[in-house]
Amino acid sequence: MDYIITTEQLTKKYKNFISVNQVSMHIQKGSIYGFLGPNGAGKSTTMKMLLGLTSPTGGRFTVDGGHFPDDRISILKKVGSFIESPSFYANLTGRENLDIIRRILGLPENAVNDALELVGLAEFGNRLAKKYSLGMKQRLGLAGALLGRPPILILDEPTNGLDPSGIHEIRNLIKSLPSLYDCTVLISSHMLSEIELMADDIGILNHGRLLFEGSLDELRQNAVQAGFAADHKISSANLENMFLSMIDKDNAARKQRARL
Amino acid sequence: MKTLIIELRKEKRTGVIPLLLLVGILGAAYAFVNFIVRKDTLLNLPLAPMDVLLTQLYGMIMVLNMFGIVVAACMVYNMEFKGTAIKKMYMLPISVPKMYLCKFFILTVLLLTAIVLQNLALLKIGISDLPKGTFEMDTLLKFTVYSFITSMPTLSFMVLVSSRSPNMWMPLGIGVAGFLSGMALAGSNVSLLLVHPFVVMLKPAVAMSAQPDNGIAIIAMAETSLLLGIGLWMAKHLRYE
Repeated sequence: MDYIITTEQLTKKYKNFISVNQVSMHIQKGSIYGFLGPNGAGKSTTMKMLLGLTSPTGGRFTVDGGHFPDDRISILKKVGSFIESPSFYANLTGRENLDIIRRILGLPENAVNDALELVGLAEFGNRLAKKYSLGMKQRLGLAGALLGRPPILILDEPTNGLDPSGIHEIRNLIKSLPSLYDCTVLISSHMLSEIELMADDIGILNHGRLLFEGSLDELRQNAVQAGFAADHKISSANLENMFLSMIDKDNAARKQRARL
Repeated sequence: MKTLIIELRKEKRTGVIPLLLLVGILGAAYAFVNFIVRKDTLLNLPLAPMDVLLTQLYGMIMVLNMFGIVVAACMVYNMEFKGTAIKKMYMLPISVPKMYLCKFFILTVLLLTAIVLQNLALLKIGISDLPKGTFEMDTLLKFTVYSFITSMPTLSFMVLVSSRSPNMWMPLGIGVAGFLSGMALAGSNVSLLLVHPFVVMLKPAVAMSAQPDNGIAIIAMAETSLLLGIGLWMAKHLRYE
């Protein structure tokens, strides 16, 4: 297997709280990897570690063969990212914001228009970013991640704050990216129904632990084996139930361990 | 150079550049107006005319510069924290210490411009209003360099504090506290107090002579370098969390 991102026993521990607990992930080149888990599961923290925003307290990881902090610049040249909420200069317009990123990445001037059009923000490019609606800010953040069409995209809940048509549009865009220019996408969400429509592989995280890693088909097989689909026809609702049951079982086991 | 151009582009609409230019213009205007209104009183003081020109007007000019530095340093990092733009910078292939250095450099050049504008006003006053033969160009130049060097620890300190505080009111409060405590301590002869960057900046304003104090200048340069070094180290090693 040709993995572009791998983590080995990746751990992030705060004073008395383990946010990410020995997570070993394997993301195939050219695939869309859905990172799934309830709020507070450790998805954003894992992504932050992959981008060097926070340092792991245990384990290690590689991004296209590079390690943080030694290969920080070369890794970040290949990664477009969007973490938690859109980041922008409130005093600049959308276009000016993207132009800052373009200059940092050393891209040609037309890259800004390309990114604005890709996310459907072209007509609002000259508006101050602070005057954007939440959905527009989200699109600006995505445009910043897609600028220059990087080979790796790390997107943390990119459809948050978008209206249903916006969600549909961005979802289709993300889905088309690997075939459009051969990139790898790591995308997080707390909704299996959303990830199911985009991802090739899935990682399910709960309380910092990776409960499942594999393809959607493997998850479907698990659902059949666990009795979530009586007639071997797996609907989205069955899969969602399977996901919720996994989380509930893990939460129950945690409570049990805590009592002991 | 690339990082410097990027930093200058980020400054658009923040008001940092106009602010420090305004400080320079206001300082120059204050010197002109003060000397027109109080010319006779000032020249009758028991001081050499050059000492009158440089020390009696510098107090207010220095206060303007100090507030300019405090507010500009707050603004220069507030724009990074306001839309969490700094988080994006940490996720891009740009050197964060270089970014810090460029912000420091931009503020230094702007402060220098403000000081030059103020001292051009003093030059004009010196040539046209001081008694004939008393104006000394080299004294003015030395004092200009001295006032710039002694202002730098405050600038270095404020950039450092602003770079670590997402809430702009924190560095602003620290700046005001620095000003007030500096005012209270500047008159003291205790050398240890020179570790306080605001005291160093206030020293030329409380002196009665326009001759630079080399000891204070050396301490100012050491403090500036040390605070800059700490800021660069923090930018490199303390990650965005």
